[in-house]
Amino acid sequence: MNELVTRALLPAGLRDALPAEADQEAEIVWRVTQTFKRYGYARVKPPMVEFEESLLAGSQAGMSRHCFRLMDPDSQRMMALRADMTPQVARIAATRLKGEARPLRLSYAGQVLRVKGDGLRPERQFGQVGAELIGADEPAADAEIIAMSAAALADVGAANVSIDLTIPYLVPAIIGWSQVPPDIAANLRAALDRKDAAAVANLGGRVGALLADLVAASGPAAVVLAKLDGLDLPPTARGEVVRLKEAVRLVQAARPDLALTIDTVERRGFEYQKGLSFTIFARGVRGELGRGGRYLAGEDLMEGAGETATGVTLFTDTVLRALPFPAAEACAFAPFGTPPAVVRALRDGGNLVRDGFGPVADAVAEARRLGCSHIVEGGKAVLLPANPKEAKK
Amino acid sequence: MPANDKLILALSNGRILKEVMPLLYAAGIRPEAEFDNPDTRLLRFQTNDPRLDIVRARAFDVATLVAFGAAHLGVAGNDVIVEFDYSEIYAPLDLGIGKCRLSVAEPADLAGRDDPRKWSHVRVATKYPNVARKHFARRGVQAECIKMNGAIELAPALGLARRIVDLVSSGATLKANGLVEVEHIADVTSKLIVNRAALKTRHGDVQPLIDRISEVARAA
Repeated sequence: MNELVTRALLPAGLRDALPAEADQEAEIVWRVTQTFKRYGYARVKPPMVEFEESLLAGSQAGMSRHCFRLMDPDSQRMMALRADMTPQVARIAATRLKGEARPLRLSYAGQVLRVKGDGLRPERQFGQVGAELIGADEPAADAEIIAMSAAALADVGAANVSIDLTIPYLVPAIIGWSQVPPDIAANLRAALDRKDAAAVANLGGRVGALLADLVAASGPAAVVLAKLDGLDLPPTARGEVVRLKEAVRLVQAARPDLALTIDTVERRGFEYQKGLSFTIFARGVRGELGRGGRYLAGEDLMEGAGETATGVTLFTDTVLRALPFPAAEACAFAPFGTPPAVVRALRDGGNLVRDGFGPVADAVAEARRLGCSHIVEGGKAVLLPANPKEAKK
Repeated sequence: MPANDKLILALSNGRILKEVMPLLYAAGIRPEAEFDNPDTRLLRFQTNDPRLDIVRARAFDVATLVAFGAAHLGVAGNDVIVEFDYSEIYAPLDLGIGKCRLSVAEPADLAGRDDPRKWSHVRVATKYPNVARKHFARRGVQAECIKMNGAIELAPALGLARRIVDLVSSGATLKANGLVEVEHIADVTSKLIVNRAALKTRHGDVQPLIDRISEVARAA
């Protein structure tokens, strides 16, 4: 292949966003952070790169394999590029904002980079917009994050959004309590991940029937909550179900139109979550629009105990897929010689105006060539006449 | 209702299709007449349920279609499911059909003087490089896998690889090619598979279908 041609090639998983899309993505980020702001979340901006031991502290060690590293020639220490922004915000809360009143509400937006994409998201770089609620343990805090996520997605125009709730450690707790042998437990977890109720019942020993019931208990929130009431859960699990129920009640009160489902067996990607967690889907859209839940923030930093927190991260690339392609925006062409005061007045009025840099024979044709919908004439933006060439087709 | 709002069930051609159709009929799912025309050029078929279409694809593609949400449901063997190990696929129901096994096989004369316990490196031809690699890694054996898409049994005779990892049902194909099974990797049956997001966002459409098929599979 010609070397000059291959110079257009980007590394796998990286891409250019072109005009309409880049604009739409910026709009999503702006709108979502504005929604978070209206709930009282203040925006923070951590750096893209940090020392790896702070970025990967505590429960974040699992992110290690996703991070690009660079050596800091200055301090001679290893730095990691962020693969996820939540731990950075948790670090800010545990260090510089340690003295601020709790609960602390923070939001953020930025790009993350990962060593490898996965099957559903081949992108190695993508945008995250999120919010973290630190130091509040009430079910109302879980509900606020979930309802606010739904509000943010409604504000950007995403349709048919549904949020799937889970209690990620419920099943591990039951498996641990049942003392299923480790080699069988691995197969049992695989069967649970595949939702194969028959295999779960077979492998689960004395908790097989209970786990199979949990697999079957997934679907619309109201139906599942009723089913969970009928199950003989261990006492520790019962407390989490009470919290789930209260959070569902509060979310439904805040967003009665939101589709809420429950799947207590879901645990993939929630390995470090400490309580009520969720995944955001949209009908017909591949992959997840976002996810979040309860975790321990600031573990292994400063005094190291960490504090309870919950939060949400939206993935801008998937959110973008859930939205219709934006309609072309109206833009006016100002032919060479249009008085600057006219152009300025139009721009001040919120119009998009492209200036002509030299005289042209046919200003209308020039406006069309530049992709404009209007032309500035007599101090106003006038819609271009229908294109005779297109009319013929 | 937009066309893409229909549920899509992906089925693979061949042996499994013959076994799965009676189950679908029993569950009240009947494809249009063209489905049974062996010369049809159609790949997508309507059913008696206006909200459900059936598509036909190769076995590996059924898993891919369902993983990416292009099809909402499908029928695939667990050989295919574990080979890809897509996190977006649920396999809620073992249909108990398409029974066979995934095995390591080698020429009969080699098997006579070979002890699989002594392997440290093997070269295998297979449709399932991931499954094969994982299987041998668990045994501490380094595996060099040559991916083939069919006629795996030819590989030993032609000198491509001495051993193969492939599906075995009656063993007749192996025998005809002078091969014998030396190791069993996994039992295979066909499963009903479901796209994860579809089960969450269209639970009301998808779950009743799973329940219906589940009932007839249990009765069968």
